[in-house]
Amino acid sequence: MKLSNASPPFLHTDVTVMSMLGDRIFALCALLVIPTVRYGPRPLVMAGLSVLICLVCELLTGLMRKEGVPVTEWSFAVTGLVITMLMPVNAPLWLPCAACLFAELAAKAPFGGFGRTPFNPAAAGVAFATLCWPKQMFSYVDPAEPQWLPVWGECSVHTAQSAAAYLKSGLKPDILPFDMLWGDMAGPLGTGAALVIGACALLLFVRRAAHAETTLCFLAAAAALAALFPRIACSPLTSVKYELLSGSLFFCSVFLMDPVSSLHTAAGRCIYGAAAGGLLMAFRHFGAYEQGAVFAVLIANALSPLISSAVGRARGWEGSVYG
Amino acid sequence: MEQQKRASLKNEIVSLPSPEDLPAPPKIKPLKKGAAAPRILSAAEEAGIADEFDGMMLERKLSLFASRKTELLVACGFDEDPYTSGAEAVLRESAEDVAEGLWLAAKACGAKERLVAASSRREAHRFAACCTGTAAVAAGNRYPARTLLMQKLRRGGKKAEWIGVQACAALGAAVRGECRNETVVTVAGDGVRRWGNFRVRIGTPVGDVLAAGKPEKRVCLVAVGSSVTGRTVTDLSLPVTAATRCVIALKRPPRVPAHPCVGCGRCARACPAGVLPWLVHRELEGGSPEALRLFHVEDCVGCGACHTVCPSGIDLMAAVRRAAGLKEGRDLHETE
Ligand code: SF4
Ligand code: SF4
Repeated sequence: MKLSNASPPFLHTDVTVMSMLGDRIFALCALLVIPTVRYGPRPLVMAGLSVLICLVCELLTGLMRKEGVPVTEWSFAVTGLVITMLMPVNAPLWLPCAACLFAELAAKAPFGGFGRTPFNPAAAGVAFATLCWPKQMFSYVDPAEPQWLPVWGECSVHTAQSAAAYLKSGLKPDILPFDMLWGDMAGPLGTGAALVIGACALLLFVRRAAHAETTLCFLAAAAALAALFPRIACSPLTSVKYELLSGSLFFCSVFLMDPVSSLHTAAGRCIYGAAAGGLLMAFRHFGAYEQGAVFAVLIANALSPLISSAVGRARGWEGSVYG
Repeated sequence: MEQQKRASLKNEIVSLPSPEDLPAPPKIKPLKKGAAAPRILSAAEEAGIADEFDGMMLERKLSLFASRKTELLVACGFDEDPYTSGAEAVLRESAEDVAEGLWLAAKACGAKERLVAASSRREAHRFAACCTGTAAVAAGNRYPARTLLMQKLRRGGKKAEWIGVQACAALGAAVRGECRNETVVTVAGDGVRRWGNFRVRIGTPVGDVLAAGKPEKRVCLVAVGSSVTGRTVTDLSLPVTAATRCVIALKRPPRVPAHPCVGCGRCARACPAGVLPWLVHRELEGGSPEALRLFHVEDCVGCGACHTVCPSGIDLMAAVRRAAGLKEGRDLHETE
C-alpha cells in the first residue's frame, strides 16, 4: 500500500463548478429535442459545430498562454450551446461559428477565461452576429410548413415574422398561446418552448446550478414594465403574456444570467436581474432590433460591478473603512 | 454535506484485541456515586480520561468549565463529520454510562443542568427512553452541528459547554472501578470493505485499526481525525490517540480543480462564525488587504465548512487563517 499525502478536506459537496456547468449543458441539450424533431438533425449539427469551435478556441488560447490544455471546465460547451439556441434554425452554419469565435476570442480569452469574464461570452457573440448580420439573424423559418431542413447546405425556406417582430411593429402576434408554450412559432431555435425552458430552470434551481432570484427579478421587472407600458392595444395581462413568451426573453432570464463573479449576495443578484429585465424592455421599446435581450444582458454585465459595489458599501464591505 | 454514517452504524461496536506491547490499563479505586467534585476530578485524572473531540484531559476541561461558571453541560452524542459515527454508536450502546458520567461531570464543574445532544430526534428519543433523568435533544445534520448547537444554546442566555460522550462513558465506568484506556474509532471510506466502529486501546497502531476495516489493495490515502479537517498519515505505525475519531481510507485523493470564485455565496452561508470567506479571499488576492474589512476572521473555529462547500475548490480556510494572522499584526508574507 503506497500512501500519499494530501490536504483536507477529504470529501466535498456534490456542487462543483463542473457539476454546475454539467447541469447547464444537460438543460441546453434538452432544449434541442423539439427543434430536432421538427427540423431534423440540422440543430444538432449546428450545436455540435458551435461547441467544437469553442473547444478549439479554448485549446488554442490555452496553448498560447502556455497553460497546456487546461480544459478543466466545460464553459466552452455552454457558450457554444447558448449561441446555437439564439440562432434561427435556418441560419447559415457559419453564423453560429462566427459568433462562437467572437465569444471565445474577444469576450473570453482576453480577460483570462472562465470566471473572469466581465461580459457573458455567449451574449457578446450573439450581439456581434446581430450587429454584423441582422438579416440572417432575424430570418426565421415558417413553422406552418414543417419540414426537415438540409443538414449542411443553405436553407431556401419560407420565412415568417416572429412574435417579437409583430410586437415591434405594434401588432398582436397571430399565435395561439398553446403554440407559444411549446415553441411552435417563428423565432430562435431554442428559445420558444417556454414549458421546456421552465422545466430546465426548475432543474437548475433545484440542483443549485443557477440563482432563482436573478431569474425571478428579471421576469418580474420585465412583466411589470410590460403591464405598465404595453406595446400593443391590449389588456396588461395579455401584454405580459406576449412579452414574456416572445423573443428570447424567457430563455435569457434562465441561461444568460450566469453566476457573475462579483455578485455574492442575493440583494445584488436581485438588483442585477431586475436591471437586466428593465433594460430588455427598454430595448424592445426603443431599440432598432426585434430582439434586444443580449444587449440588455451585456449592459447589465457592465453594471454588475457597480451593483456589487453599492451593496458592498451599504453593508460596509467596500469603500473607505474609516467612514 | 451528505451523511455517510449508515454503513458504519449497521453493526455494533467491535472491540479489537489490545497490542501485546501496550501495558495493561491501571486499576483505579471505584468512584462513589455521591463523591464530591474534587474526588471526581481526581478520578478522571487517575483514569487518564481525555475528551475524544479535542484530546483535552477531562479533569482539566472540567476545572476550566468550573472557573467559567458553567450552567449547562452538554454531552455530544453525535459526530458532525459526515464519515464519523463513533459518538452515535457509544450513545446507543453505553447510554447508562454516558448519563452517569454526565451527571458526575456536571457535578464536578458545578453545572446545574445536563443535556445529551444526539444526532437525530430518533436517537434522542432512544436515549431518553432508557435514561429518564437526563434531557436529550437532536443536534441536526448541518455541518458544523456542534458549533451551531452551542451557538443556539448560548444565544438562549445559558453558559453552556460541551464534552464528548466517550469521555462521559469512561467517567461513568469509573464508578465500577473500570479504567477505560480506549477509544471508539470509525473506519470508513471507499478504500475499506467493512465500514464500522472499533473499540481500540489508545496507542494501537493506525494500521491495525485500518486492517479491521479490510482495506482494498488500491488505497492511496489514509486520513485520521475528520474528513473535513483531518490529516493524512503515510506511516501506519503511528498510534491512535484519544482524539482519533476516524480513519478514512480512500482509493483516490479527492480533488476539486481550482477555479476563480463564481460568486455563489455558499461559503458565507456555510460559515457558523459570520465570516465572509469570499470577501477575505478577494481582499488577500488583491494584495493589499484592509484589516478592518476582514470581518470576524478572529472568530473562525477552523471547521473547514467554507472550503468543503466551495464549488471552485478554493482553500478558504487557509485564507481566513492568514487573514486572522494579519489582523493580529503579522504581515502578509509571514502568514503564508
Ligand atoms: S473554517 Fe472558519 S471561515 Fe471557514 S466556515 Fe469554518 S468558521 Fe467559517
Ligand atoms: S463558495 Fe467559493 S465560489 Fe462560492 S462565493 Fe465562496 S469563494 Fe466564491
